[in-house]
Amino acid sequence: MNWTTFLQFTRGPLFQASLLIFVGGMAYRLVRVVLLGWKGDKAPAKGSKLAGVVKTYLKGFLIFPFVPWVKRTFNRNPIIYLAGGLFHLGLFSAIILGTPHMLVWKSLLGFGWPTLPLPIVDWLSAASIAAMIALLFYRRTNPVLKLISGPAEWLNWLLVFLPMVTGYIMTHHLFFQYEVLFSLHMLSVDVLLIWIPLSRISHFMFYFFSRTIHGVEFGKRGVTP
Amino acid sequence: MSEETIYQRLENNGVSRRDFLKLCGTLAGAMGLAVPPLEASGLPDHLLTENKTIHKIARALETKARVPVIWLEFQDCAGCSEALTRSQSPTLIDLVLNTISVEYHETLTAAAGHQTEENKQNIMQQYAGQYVLVVEGSIPMALGGAYCTIGGRSAIEILEEAAAGAAAIISTGNCAAFGGLPKADPNPTDAKGVWELITDKPVVNIPGCPAIPEVFTGTLAHFVIFGALPELDDLNRPVTFYGKTIHDRCLRRPFYEAGKFANSFDDEGAKQGWCLYKLGCKGPTTYNACASIKWDAGLSFPVQSGHPCLGCSEPDFWDGGGFYQGQSAPLNRPAATVVGAAVGAGAVVGAAMAANNAAQKKRAVQASEE
Ligand code: HEM
Ligand code: HEM
Ligand code: SF4
Repeated sequence: MNWTTFLQFTRGPLFQASLLIFVGGMAYRLVRVVLLGWKGDKAPAKGSKLAGVVKTYLKGFLIFPFVPWVKRTFNRNPIIYLAGGLFHLGLFSAIILGTPHMLVWKSLLGFGWPTLPLPIVDWLSAASIAAMIALLFYRRTNPVLKLISGPAEWLNWLLVFLPMVTGYIMTHHLFFQYEVLFSLHMLSVDVLLIWIPLSRISHFMFYFFSRTIHGVEFGKRGVTP
Repeated sequence: MSEETIYQRLENNGVSRRDFLKLCGTLAGAMGLAVPPLEASGLPDHLLTENKTIHKIARALETKARVPVIWLEFQDCAGCSEALTRSQSPTLIDLVLNTISVEYHETLTAAAGHQTEENKQNIMQQYAGQYVLVVEGSIPMALGGAYCTIGGRSAIEILEEAAAGAAAIISTGNCAAFGGLPKADPNPTDAKGVWELITDKPVVNIPGCPAIPEVFTGTLAHFVIFGALPELDDLNRPVTFYGKTIHDRCLRRPFYEAGKFANSFDDEGAKQGWCLYKLGCKGPTTYNACASIKWDAGLSFPVQSGHPCLGCSEPDFWDGGGFYQGQSAPLNRPAATVVGAAVGAGAVVGAAMAANNAAQKKRAVQASEE
């Protein structure tokens, strides 16, 4: 076994298996959550549900996160607010707007889109990695966070961190030959794909669930979120 | 074959001493050895000191007889031989061909049939332990080797016989090195590269499709002159030629960095010479000297002329993803039905668990009510 064949394994059969576990696992999680159901509310509606949803997204997802002073997280702890935001920004710029990743989507979805120049993605990735280290440091030092962080939380961090650093090192051709890092990058991505449905990283799906449901409730009761 | 030295032979062919030293400089360059320009210019003998590279080369050529070469072809297309004999660097290739004597080569030898086979046997006996064995083409192992036989004998039999008396083995081209095209999935003949089969002899791999002639001759020259093989990487390729990737030395690299890509073979980007990554370039993982030595006497190479690198110097490049599909794209995609099945399975298991939980809850409620 040399690195080229290992790369072919991590890009080929292993990736395929991970992807299937990922979609199957997410479907499982989704069905479980949907079938939990939520208690019917017999009170008469005071406003439009749809308007509530739209408002929730506008404020909670698209506007407020970028207007720091209205966020309680920011007022309580600006570092966590900024690091969390920066981490997600770098993550998404890399995996959606980075050329190699767009080609992954293209091969899976059948269509592609324009991408950002490498230096921009690269700096955002670097910022993202730095932000992750800051978040880890905070988790290790803040007494409350430390208390609620079990092995799963540390693993969450590690399994997201590994693809980020291997991708970054690979892009810069540092330390090892390219196909070595490519293999490790793919291996860490494959592991992450399997881990996501088992963990709270599945929040990327449930986040929209909770937002939507809250939006519906808010809208019905005619309160502003 | 006479026992005259290589130098004597050159001299008899009318090569002057000065030209000879110049040729030594060319050879040094071909082997990827660094030679100061002054030395490479063909200084008179007495100005050369003992330990200078060129002097070492000159010494070797003055004292050594030509090295006999046996060239075997198995599951090949003779493309490596073609590339070598039609190479556009005549002085260099001539020079190297002057330092060796090709005793057996199925495509080049004029004679044919049992006569040549007999001659090969004689050469192998006469130069046992001295000759260089060059192999072109992969070796089929399925059906007891029946997919490739010469004179009624299987490729593996012929290879093992010739390898036994070889001083060193050079596998030229991806087929001999790693199995190449014949080994592509589903590999019907169970094709193998030489180094998978012969493990008791030094085997150098010069993969490529075909191998770059200058890389082949440079490696051969190194063996002839220093009597030893050059430094090899973990795939037994000479580090001098295979130490860097195409991407490392690519003239389109600045466009890669700037995110400027050709999206098709005739769009504006292609005309501007932008990076070919999105068109499937395998340059980032391909180790070879194309981008520096190039082809046709340094005229051009695939990426320069607008075609993405196929990765032909890497093992199993035929199965390394579509030639025109970006390198980062997964090698195989699950079919839509398989994805559907995975989603379905997840959903069904989820629903079953939910139903089970609901039933349990109901029972528990009933139990508490009773
Ligand atoms: C639309 C998609 C997503 C949304 C809306 C979202 C939102 C959030 C929010 C609100 C938090 C908690 C606050 C914070 O620490 O900043 C969080 C934390 C986190 N998210 Fe996401 N996320 C998304 C996608 C992802 C993805 C795809 C990944 C990983 C592959 C990810 C990894 C993480 C991690 C590791 C944390 C914990 C950070 C910590 O240690 O504090 N997120 N996300
Ligand atoms: C099938 C999945 C993936 C493939 C095939 C893939 C492939 C690649 C490749 C080829 C590069 C290097 C490009 C270059 O040399 O310029 C890269 C970089 C990178 N990847 Fe991935 N990747 C995948 C998934 C992921 C995921 C899930 C993450 C994050 C959680 C990630 C994070 C990164 C980062 C941060 C970089 C560095 C970007 C930069 O510094 O410009 N990748 N990836
Ligand atoms: S054309 Fe190929 S080798 Fe050249 S920079 Fe682009 S990806 Fe790299």
